[in-house]
Amino acid sequence: MASQSSPRAPRRVAVLGGNRIPFARSNGPYAKASNQDMLTATVDGLVARFGLAGERLGEVVAGAVLKHSRDFNLTRETVLGTRLDPATPAYDVQQACGTGLEAAVLVANKIALGQVDAGVAGGVDSASDAPIAVSEGLRQTLLAVNRARSAGERAKALTGLRPGHLVPAIPENVEPRTGLSMGEHMALTAAQWGITREAQDELAAASHRHLAAAYERGFFDDLVTPYLGVSRDTNLRADSTVEKLSTLKPVFGKGDGATMTAGNSTPLTDGASAVLLASEEWAAEHRLTPLAWFVDAETAAVDYVHGDEGLLMAPAYAVPRLLARNGLSLQDFDFYEIHEAFAATVLTTLKAWEDPDFCRERLGLDAPLGSIDRGRLNVNGSSLAAGHPFAATGGRIVASLAKQLKEAGGGRGLISICAAGGQGVVAILEA
Amino acid sequence: MTKEITLDAAPDLRRIYATAALRRGNASDALPDVRWSRAGIRVDVDDLVAYAHVCRFPVSGTLPPTYPHLVAFPLQMAVMSGDRFPLPLLGAVHVENRIEALRPVQLDEPLDVSVWAQDLRPHRRGRQVDLVSEVGVRGEVVWRGVSTYLSRGAEHPDAEPSEPPSTDPLAAVTTGPLWRLGEGTGRAYAAVSGDWNPIHVHALTAKPLGFPSAIAHGMYSYARVLAALGPRLPEAGLTSRVWFRKPVRLPSSVRLRTAFEASRTLSVLEHAKGEIEHAVVENTW
Repeated sequence: MASQSSPRAPRRVAVLGGNRIPFARSNGPYAKASNQDMLTATVDGLVARFGLAGERLGEVVAGAVLKHSRDFNLTRETVLGTRLDPATPAYDVQQACGTGLEAAVLVANKIALGQVDAGVAGGVDSASDAPIAVSEGLRQTLLAVNRARSAGERAKALTGLRPGHLVPAIPENVEPRTGLSMGEHMALTAAQWGITREAQDELAAASHRHLAAAYERGFFDDLVTPYLGVSRDTNLRADSTVEKLSTLKPVFGKGDGATMTAGNSTPLTDGASAVLLASEEWAAEHRLTPLAWFVDAETAAVDYVHGDEGLLMAPAYAVPRLLARNGLSLQDFDFYEIHEAFAATVLTTLKAWEDPDFCRERLGLDAPLGSIDRGRLNVNGSSLAAGHPFAATGGRIVASLAKQLKEAGGGRGLISICAAGGQGVVAILEA
Repeated sequence: MTKEITLDAAPDLRRIYATAALRRGNASDALPDVRWSRAGIRVDVDDLVAYAHVCRFPVSGTLPPTYPHLVAFPLQMAVMSGDRFPLPLLGAVHVENRIEALRPVQLDEPLDVSVWAQDLRPHRRGRQVDLVSEVGVRGEVVWRGVSTYLSRGAEHPDAEPSEPPSTDPLAAVTTGPLWRLGEGTGRAYAAVSGDWNPIHVHALTAKPLGFPSAIAHGMYSYARVLAALGPRLPEAGLTSRVWFRKPVRLPSSVRLRTAFEASRTLSVLEHAKGEIEHAVVENTW
């Protein structure tokens, strides 16, 4: 009788490093580069940095939020254009702004289970080279023409065409179920939580200051590869101040209570990022030193459709579940990377964790999670300064936090990323 | 002594083609001893992206190995349209090309380009000449190209033929990438390369020059081959040669078959149905 194989113990997962191209505001220097172009350049940069040419990796996982239908196999097509062994499998994931971090979770889990030894997680987005679809009416007409079996049937199908059908469908940053843009959703939540304009502008100014300082001290020298003549994130304003930000007019929200401006919201951005994850053994065999360990992750979702919860509040739910599973408190971290979709997103999340009612009623906790040391938050800048190519943000944060932990000589970091559809992905790294 | 002509801007290709029909060449056996140069050429990002998308190279910070040819091409045209150049420009056929990509060239490097003609010699069906292009970056030669053009004329049956390597290694290779090249392929490549030679633009402009339809640019087909081999070729120390056989009539479907060896690839680009050989490409390193 065959003996049943016993499950293997999970393995530690190392973050070995990352690579990204500088992020660029949309319709700027990368306007004509495709997602595949940017992801290929980014993965090839990672391959060059870690000597992976010709290497067969366990898998490459990446995705894009704004995706052309021709890019159905974007990541595999990308791998075939890089110097990785073409026998490296790949697949696409899409979880809105959580795509990049979710990709890292997927690769890390396979490494932990011993299914693969090393993999690349990444993401890319172009808000410039966006897919434009034909209108629904034209699409239905063209499908009918395609189904037609005779010239007569085709002619009949074509009579369904109307002038209005020729207006193309351009992707919108709008929640399909509410018709509200992400900014409009955030404005509702920010007003509900009483997040002030001043606090948002302060957070935005700090993001620019921190990112500029990180560039100055060479922090990104082995994290960023110049692309198409760009060597720094083009959204970065090193001289940004609260005073300058305070002069901007609100763009989301209504009336006097409107606090969200173009300065404290992320701009539409083009860019790509990739992270190299591996088992300890693989890292040792390749003489690579882990920057940090990918410890655990959690994903949450909230029902925002009827206004029960804010669209971008899911990370507030994911983090306490992750903390409980790992026996940690919110204060047990040396660094916090809370994705700045909007300054108000970060501030609302922090305020919710400090709020006894929210923590009791919504999170089911006896006591609030409490506040964090703001000096440990987004210490190398975040999306308000760097920009936010949706699927590329996770990879940017994982690589930067891992390096920060290594530089600090060890410690623990928390990543929190909100996503469209009322979702959130959070993770813990340790070094 | 070699005459040096240094240009500050690219020669106007439209003007060269517009007046090309008036130049008939001459019977001279001597090539003018002239070297045409341009220094400090900057590659425009939008131009590079447009070229990469047409030829299917990924857009990276490194120039595709065929891109320096594009930079040198206007100077080639200037050489060949010169008064004392012995062959007529119009109707000249690109029969062979050789590229030495000595090291990767970065998008932001200033390029110094020199072009001259050499080795005017008989061909079975006329006379042929090599246009040599050398690209340097701050005094270092990084890329070299040799384009061989044939001008049909008096036949030389005993001329030394230049045959491509044997395609025997491809006998076992049954498949490879298939490309459907549309009628507008020549115009798309003309738009990104500046090579508006009428034989590539439209059937109506190709017919007076003896082609029943427009034909694809040789350098387009060649670029597509190198793009398809892409990551399987080294970035430095690559010598690439192409022998253009029968032109690709547009529209047309073509297939690439490649045999990979330790430090060589051998490819043939042929009609999808297999009976016409369009190009043979050999890469060595």
